[in-house]
Amino acid sequence: MNAIGQPAGQPTRRAGHNIEGGFDVERIRQDFPILSRQVHGKPLVYFDSGASAQKPRAVIDAMTEVLENEYTNVHRGAHYLSQTLTDRYEGVRETIARFINAPSENQIVITRNTTEAINLVAATYGRKFLGRGDGVVVSTMEHHANIVPWQMLRDEKGIELKVAPIDDTGALDLDAYAALLDGNTKLVAITHCSNVLGTMVPAAEIVRLAHDRGIPVLLDGSQAVVHSTVDVQALDADFYVFTGHKLYGPNAIGVLYGKAELLAQMPPYQGGGDMIASVTFEKTTYQEPPHRFEAGTPPIVEAIGLGAAMDYVSAIGMEAIAAHEKSLLTYATERLMAQPGIQLFGTAPGKAAILSFIQQGIHPFDTAATLDREGVAVRVGQHCAEPLMGRLGVDGTVRASLAMYNTTAEVDTMIRALERARTLFG
Amino acid sequence: MTIAAEKLAQYDEYVEALEILDEESRFEYIIDIGKRADKTAFPAECMDDAHLMHGCMSKVWIIHSRENDRSIFRGQSDAIIVKGLVSMMTGSFSGLTSGELAEVTLDHVRGLNLGALTMQRQVGMMAMLKHMQKLSLQAERAEAAD
Repeated sequence: MNAIGQPAGQPTRRAGHNIEGGFDVERIRQDFPILSRQVHGKPLVYFDSGASAQKPRAVIDAMTEVLENEYTNVHRGAHYLSQTLTDRYEGVRETIARFINAPSENQIVITRNTTEAINLVAATYGRKFLGRGDGVVVSTMEHHANIVPWQMLRDEKGIELKVAPIDDTGALDLDAYAALLDGNTKLVAITHCSNVLGTMVPAAEIVRLAHDRGIPVLLDGSQAVVHSTVDVQALDADFYVFTGHKLYGPNAIGVLYGKAELLAQMPPYQGGGDMIASVTFEKTTYQEPPHRFEAGTPPIVEAIGLGAAMDYVSAIGMEAIAAHEKSLLTYATERLMAQPGIQLFGTAPGKAAILSFIQQGIHPFDTAATLDREGVAVRVGQHCAEPLMGRLGVDGTVRASLAMYNTTAEVDTMIRALERARTLFG
Repeated sequence: MTIAAEKLAQYDEYVEALEILDEESRFEYIIDIGKRADKTAFPAECMDDAHLMHGCMSKVWIIHSRENDRSIFRGQSDAIIVKGLVSMMTGSFSGLTSGELAEVTLDHVRGLNLGALTMQRQVGMMAMLKHMQKLSLQAERAEAAD
């Protein structure tokens, strides 16, 4: 067994079914229309929110309302619709800023997703400020989106990629990380929460250690922003990136937060409409951030949807959501580990509600296909984290990622489906 | 060109077997085929990168040989269900020339009525078909060049 994998133990105390406590999960489930559907004749159990979360009625209605009654282009019309929708669109920037406690909405760049946000930083900040021999520190548990852009920069500019290791629980090895900050390191780009292991890294400490040496830090918050309160000022992050579709919002919209002084020094990412101040054939001048980085018609309807998603999450309260998910994670972990032959990956303290595992002797695809037959949607494979799979010593895992709308009864359904997988394949 | 009916006898057998089954039974049928295929020797030395179809959910290896202009395929996977799928594909479409194989289409694969497994990225049956067509064509061109 690989060192990080935890062997299945004997059944432990089985959590009761009232763990939801004051958090009214059934009420919340009613807000998500898709959760009432069936798959293969069974109620849908959606444990794939880490890939993309389902959307509450508030998001669907907000987007529909724009399309039915308010739609036009933004930033460029003298007419009523354009002015009112521009106000709403720019208002979302303020909502996003509030959601992560950014000092100003002008530090919120709207992108297509996290991947584009990281590529934007690599292509602008990276190209301008990083050169041959400069080091960029990432971790073993990065998503490919936070590896490949830096590798492309390595191939183009000759920078060096330095990888901070994890320990056997899946926690970041802070001492090894700190050691990598010496010498040529000029940027840290690290996940705030592993999409495979659920590990929450000590982000504030990571930033502090880097800042002690004058090194800026980009945090990939794709998973963290869904499971915890994020305060970019408290973290003192230089860049913070995340995507809308994992945060109960629509796809095709993401966010790059940057410190004002950094954004101001960065050249444009793409050229086109909206990002310019003036264009002649002789000379073009650019807008100030954030619009400098938003060429072309932006994701207008998606922005309205993301704003609605953030309002929805804020109204429930991130602390209440996190508490519910923590209880659910505890229950699911206990039930999972009570099953024979389960190898769980990622047991770092304070982890988010993500369970990566394999059933020993059964291929993860066979496990996941059996779960699907029972209506349980999970992800299987390498989870866009192939280097981490190498560290774990496996070709892939099954990943159940839990969200605010999941229940203990759904965990029980997954456990029964795992028993069926053992019958079919064991 | 059309493919002679007798050349698709194994395919037709799968189609007939699957069409009388409900969705749940089809799932178990594929598993049975995968388990049976598991007992058939697949050369271990061929489970290498040269014979690997790249996919992130499971691994699929396909070996191709030619007998009198006809392509013979054998498949393997590390997942039982995928082993069942690749076994159905190699069993259904072995014995065809590359020209005949090129005429096998998405409709044939859909005819097996396996729903989501038909088009699933990377380990899907259409991806397997395209890979088999490519192997057949490559071998034919290599032979012609000799």
